[in-house]
Amino acid sequence: MENYHEMEMRVVYAQTLKDLIDRNPDVFCLEADLGKADASIPVVSKSHPRNFINCGVQEANMIGVGAGLAREGKIPFCATFSAFASRRCYDQITISVAYANNNVKIVGNSPGITQGPNGGTHMCFQDLAIMRAMPNMHVYSPADANELRAVMFHMAESKQPTYMQLVRLKMPKLFEEGASFDPHQAKRLHAGQDITLVATGFMTRFALDVARQLEKENITVDLLHYPSVKPFDTKTLIDSARKTSAVVTVENQNIVGGLGSAVCEVLGENHPVKVKRLGIPDQFGEVADQDYLFNKHGFGPEHIAQACRELSRSKSK
Amino acid sequence: MTREQLDSLAAEFRYVVTDAICRSGVGHIGGVMSLVEIVITLYYRIMKIKPQDPNWPQRDRLVLSKGHAGPVVYTALAYKGFFPKDWLTTINKNGTRLPSHMDQILTPGVEITAGSLGQGLSCACGMALAAKHDSRKHRVFCIIGDGESDEGQIWEAALFAAHNQLDNLIAICDYNKMQIDGRTEEIINLEPLVDKWRAFGWETFEMNGHDWDAVYDTLQKADGVTGRPAMIIAHTIKGKGNRETEGLVDCHNVKIPDETTYQRLMCGLECKFDLPY
Repeated sequence: MENYHEMEMRVVYAQTLKDLIDRNPDVFCLEADLGKADASIPVVSKSHPRNFINCGVQEANMIGVGAGLAREGKIPFCATFSAFASRRCYDQITISVAYANNNVKIVGNSPGITQGPNGGTHMCFQDLAIMRAMPNMHVYSPADANELRAVMFHMAESKQPTYMQLVRLKMPKLFEEGASFDPHQAKRLHAGQDITLVATGFMTRFALDVARQLEKENITVDLLHYPSVKPFDTKTLIDSARKTSAVVTVENQNIVGGLGSAVCEVLGENHPVKVKRLGIPDQFGEVADQDYLFNKHGFGPEHIAQACRELSRSKSK
Repeated sequence: MTREQLDSLAAEFRYVVTDAICRSGVGHIGGVMSLVEIVITLYYRIMKIKPQDPNWPQRDRLVLSKGHAGPVVYTALAYKGFFPKDWLTTINKNGTRLPSHMDQILTPGVEITAGSLGQGLSCACGMALAAKHDSRKHRVFCIIGDGESDEGQIWEAALFAAHNQLDNLIAICDYNKMQIDGRTEEIINLEPLVDKWRAFGWETFEMNGHDWDAVYDTLQKADGVTGRPAMIIAHTIKGKGNRETEGLVDCHNVKIPDETTYQRLMCGLECKFDLPY
């Protein structure tokens, strides 16, 4: 038994990719000169050099090479920083991958504010939004190491073009080893009656802390974690909203187009209730640490808790 | 096939593909006509294919990265029996399986979806890489455009293929020296094009893309290259074989709005044939 939650997520990514290639030699690891940042150097490059392809700083070509490999029945995982894995090669992903329905797995490392010291040029707040807007594409954002492994095992089995956010850092354990992943199923991490809190990826751990904290204030939070932003489990959300009548969303992304937008689309068409979206309020990033950015943009644990308090109070008036 | 048979087949291809494009009212006649001899040579003399089994694993692959020349490949695929010839009358019409730009999902025999320029050569690299990984012997051919060569992604793929020694990849640049807005030397000069590919590590050939012997012999030579990918710079004439289009900058995407335009284009061709549909 490995204690994956004691490792950085990038190491878990690389270790899982190695395990996948051990089982299926058609799985490939593609990098664009960020193999060290993704930890596939040395984990995959040493163990499976023939399945490790470093394209150099060629994100567009990497996606095309991945599409060609997929056309020949291979299962390429193409990783780079989320900014370059999404916005830089959006047309290549659109045409060579999604439109052609080629089975390419795209991995966006260090999403949102987790880019930290690389700053505004590298902070991508729109990858969930733009990938979600692409037909044929599945969009995942696992929240801890054990879920990351489950998501990757699913990706290697599915025939679906997929984009996955990969938090590079070590993340606290939320799920047991062998955790399940079904892209059509949200996970209820905390049951409650007063407010629905919806989170994904990097923010889920903070949302769970808030749910536990608010219990002490007699506010019960129905916390839904969405490891898949697309496909999006509508039923779990609608059922929860019927129960709580108020919803807060939080994501490590622009509030335009991502998880919060998905929630509003579903509720607006099915069960309109008040929704508060937390995340980056349509701004670019900057060089700064996590607390600074949480405070500046208002989506840290205290802001999540305050939004839950306010929304659960306002609905009872 | 004798030279006379090849000449006749090329004239028939030009006649049929012009008619088929005209039926949709608009199409990329220029870059289709410049590729006729190359595409016929590939499908009739070079590539190993099984039309009744389009996904036969041992087949040679052709990626048409300049996806807008789809109709000339569709004509070859129809004539070789991948699908009925009357499909050609549906090019670019509602519900067609033969869209203006290549679509691997819709069309039997099409390997890679292409149309957004620059992407097909990267895909061809991936396909060649997969073949090498599995020690399979088939070849991957890829046709790029000269205008397409403005794209940065072409040169990313050029670096990649050379670095990975993809000697099962044979690329052909349809160098008709014209792009949508004008002559390549005026829009964005590619010269010295042969030197560029050589400098990027490709075994590079030049040929007259309308001379049967040159096309066949150069493809054979390119196939014999080991340790590096091969690029063939094919000197061609845009709109070749039709007095109304040959060598004209404005033949990239021709509108055929009425019967008069249609008749003028069909009369500009060298020979008349019975349409096969």
